[in-house]
Amino acid sequence: MTHPGLRAALPAAMLSAGLAGGVERCAQRLIQHAARRAPPSLSARLEEEWLADLAARRGLSSLRLAIGCCWAMRIIAHEHTATAVPASACALGNKVMIAGTHHRRSASSHRTTAVLLVICLHAGLIYFLATGLVHRSGTLPPTVIQAGVTHELQPHYQPPPPAAPRLTPTRVEMPEPVFNFDLPADAHPTTDLQVEQPQQPGSTSPPLPARRVPGGPGKGFPNTSDYYPPAAIRLGEKGLVALRVCVDGNGRLSADPTLAHSSGSARLDDGALRLAQAGSGHYRAATDDGRPVDSCFPFLIRFDFKD
Amino acid sequence: MRMSLQTLRVLELFLENPSEQLSGADVQKRSRLASGTLYPILLRLESAGWFVSRWETIDPSSAGRPRRRLYRLTAGGLARASAVFASFGRGVLA
Repeated sequence: MTHPGLRAALPAAMLSAGLAGGVERCAQRLIQHAARRAPPSLSARLEEEWLADLAARRGLSSLRLAIGCCWAMRIIAHEHTATAVPASACALGNKVMIAGTHHRRSASSHRTTAVLLVICLHAGLIYFLATGLVHRSGTLPPTVIQAGVTHELQPHYQPPPPAAPRLTPTRVEMPEPVFNFDLPADAHPTTDLQVEQPQQPGSTSPPLPARRVPGGPGKGFPNTSDYYPPAAIRLGEKGLVALRVCVDGNGRLSADPTLAHSSGSARLDDGALRLAQAGSGHYRAATDDGRPVDSCFPFLIRFDFKD
Repeated sequence: MRMSLQTLRVLELFLENPSEQLSGADVQKRSRLASGTLYPILLRLESAGWFVSRWETIDPSSAGRPRRRLYRLTAGGLARASAVFASFGRGVLA
C-alpha cells in the first residue's frame, strides 16, 4: 500500500530523473566531442579531466559545464596553434610553417566567405525589396471594376429615425376658412339664424335671432403628435389637412370624417383622418342657443415640427 | 603571461593555501568562474610553469567516481604570483 502523494509524485520524479539523465548524457557527449576536437596532445587528458568534473555536477549544471568546455576547447585549440606553429617551424623548417600558415589562411578564408555570403544575402534581400516588389506592383494587370445598379431593395429596411425632432403639434380651432368647401349652412362658425317665430295675433315684436356656436375638438381630444405618421416625420413632411366632420349632440361622430382638402401627402391625410376618427366622443357639439345639436363643420389639422 | 582579472582570481585562490591541490571543479566552485574561462587559464598557467598538475591517486571503482586532475602552485609560480599581487596590491581583488 502506497501513499497517494507518493503515487502521484512518482511519475513526475521519474520524468524528472529521465530528463536529468538525458541532460547529463547530452553533456557527456558534448564534452567528448569537444575533447576530440582539442589538440591531440591534450585530447585524452581534457576528456578525462572534464568528465571527472562533470561527474560532480547534476542536471543543468552539467550542461553548463559541457558548454563551457566546448568554449574552452576553442580557446585552448587557438592558443595551442599559436604557440605550436612557431615551435614546429623552428624544428621542421619552412614546410611546417607553410602548413601552419595555410591552416590559418584556410580558417580566415572560411570566415571571409561566410561574411561575404551574409553580405550577399542581405544585398539580395534589399534588392528584391527595393525593386522586385515595386516592379510587381507596377506590372499588375488593371483591375476591372464592374459597377451596376441593383434594384433589389431590402423590404424590411427602415432608415434610422432622425434625432428626436421636437414636435409642436398645432391644433387649429376653426381658423378663418382658407379653402373652398361645400359646407352646409350649419357649418358656419357663428351664424345668426332667423328663427321664425309664430306670429302671435296682435304681437308686433320682431323675431329673436338664434345664437349658434359651432362644434370643434373638445376636452380629452387626442393629441395631434400621436397621429403624426412616423414615415412622414422621417421624410420631413408637414402640412395642413382639412377634414369635414359631422358630430352629434353628444360629441360623437355621426358619420365618418371625410377629406375636404389634402395636404399633398397621403401619409398626413391618413394621419388626420385617424385622428378625427379617434376623437369621436371628445368633440364639442355645436349649440343652438346653448342646446347641443347635430352639426357638420370643417376641421383643420396642422402637422408641423421644428428642426 | 597575460594577467586578466580571472587569472588573478585563480591565483589568489591558490595563494590562500599554496600547498593545496585543487581540481578544476573545486576552483570553479570557489572562484565562480565559468568553465569556458577557467580551463584555458589552468592550462595557460600550467604551460607557463606556474602550475603543475597530476592525476588524483584514487581507485575509481572504490571511490565511485572518476579520478580528477589536480593542480597546485609550483615554487616558481608561487614566487611569481606573490610578486604579481605585491605589485597590484591585495586590495585590487577585494
